[in-house]
Amino acid sequence: MTILALDGIISYLPVGVIILMATAFIVANLVLTSIIGPSAQGAVKGLAYESGMDPIGSARKRFNVRFYILAMTFLVFDVEIIFLYPWAVTFSKLDPRSPESALFLGRIMFFIATSVVAYVYAWKKGVFRWD
Amino acid sequence: MFTATPDQVQLVFSIIVIAVLLHVFLGACAYSIMLERKLSAWMQDRVGPNRVGPKGLFQPLADGLKFLLKEDYTPLGVDKALFTMAPGLIMLPAMIGFAVVPFAGLIDITGLVSLLGIAQANTIYQVSVVGADINIGVVYLIAVGSLGVFGVTLGGWASNNKWSFLGGLRAGAQMISYEIPMGLSLLAIILISGSIRPMTIIGGQLDGAWNLMQLPVAAVIFYTCMLAESNRAPFDMAECESELVGGYHTEYSSMRFALFFLAEYFHMITGAAFFTMLFLGGWSLNPFGGWDLPVEGAWWMGLIQFGVVASKMFLLVAFAMAIRWTLPRFRFDQLMRLAWEGMIPVSLFVMLMVSFFLFMGWNDYMWAGSLGCIVVIYLILPFMPQQSDPNHRIRLIGSRFSPVEGDSAGEQFSKASSG
Repeated sequence: MTILALDGIISYLPVGVIILMATAFIVANLVLTSIIGPSAQGAVKGLAYESGMDPIGSARKRFNVRFYILAMTFLVFDVEIIFLYPWAVTFSKLDPRSPESALFLGRIMFFIATSVVAYVYAWKKGVFRWD
Repeated sequence: MFTATPDQVQLVFSIIVIAVLLHVFLGACAYSIMLERKLSAWMQDRVGPNRVGPKGLFQPLADGLKFLLKEDYTPLGVDKALFTMAPGLIMLPAMIGFAVVPFAGLIDITGLVSLLGIAQANTIYQVSVVGADINIGVVYLIAVGSLGVFGVTLGGWASNNKWSFLGGLRAGAQMISYEIPMGLSLLAIILISGSIRPMTIIGGQLDGAWNLMQLPVAAVIFYTCMLAESNRAPFDMAECESELVGGYHTEYSSMRFALFFLAEYFHMITGAAFFTMLFLGGWSLNPFGGWDLPVEGAWWMGLIQFGVVASKMFLLVAFAMAIRWTLPRFRFDQLMRLAWEGMIPVSLFVMLMVSFFLFMGWNDYMWAGSLGCIVVIYLILPFMPQQSDPNHRIRLIGSRFSPVEGDSAGEQFSKASSG
């Protein structure tokens, strides 16, 4: 099929336009509601809503370390996937069963295997257990 | 006299498409909230909203007006800057995502351009109906789609409310977890299409079968991740009202709350457009390859193509709503296990299957590979390590879990817990 498209940085101009329009929509809505809506302050009204009880202390507390570990495991996989995208585009253009294709497949298998080792380790260590 | 080149015409047309579609989708968002209320009413044998206007059709307008007129309250003790920014940070990625999705093929507007008197002689003006036809469209979509996690986590943290904080943390963990299977199942599509340009992905499905037919496993994983990314039930862990009051938007009111709400529906619509493009072949009518709607055509062909895309998106959104009112909510540990111990291995396996099939040159037998994947998964499943029952039963005296002599249920429990 023929593809007629713009090239270069100019093709990103519509993305800039839509970001401007979306920002304008959000800002307009927030400004409008703060102008139109009523406003009243109060000591009790300002409390955090915690099911009707007076809040005890601040919410800025230490939290479960699992969230950190999960985020780090996520980073490993996310970076791996980003590396796989250009590989996928190139690999699908190679001739099937050619030595070059085998080399590409073998290298990426090794790359995935390294992160699978990390994945199995994390699983054994109970990173994915939340009970 | 000024004459426009095809590139300039395409640029102006793209900006017009974006301006029109943004408004269409904002309206669609408002009315999908209405649709959801009507659908849930239908599924629960109620009537649903029917008072405002004929058949309740003006209900979204009334809702919007009410949100505008309510007090935009900032509680004491919040982080003011982040508290104000968070609704925008979640709404902005939701709104700009659809810019790279093609909604119709190439349409011929030579007549219109010459009517305006800016046409060059002997030039055919063909434009594609897509906001920004950039050649990394798929990467843009997945990058923008995952930016929503900032709004959710910051909104929860800035509120200085324990429920919001927990909701924001949970939503953040959920959204980053489900990004990985989403990216991996997307990788299978990229391997099949050989491109990350949306137009090329659709073109491949117009010539051949839909990707849904070739990779049903990846499609199911992708749709599930789409629900999780937009925080829809059964993955609305962030806002589960039975545990966390309102989750990360407990402290929000008025239009800021409405933005959180709108963003959820906008995410769903963008996700449906994404799914239509990747798996349902855009405006393709024939799932098996062969005859199909053409890529190029006159303006009315563009309208037909847009109609096909829009009806596919409508069905996907309605399906997500039906899921919401059918399935109960996951527990948080189940949610995490589904992502990390279920969907990531499966989507990795599917991706490896696709790359092996491509290496062997079996491009037309991907469906057989997908069936093979399902069979292998079911064969492996019984040998996987089972997790212990995470329900911590409390042995209250007199209850059926109490270790009293002669109480068979209690004895069974003590055996199970000691063994």
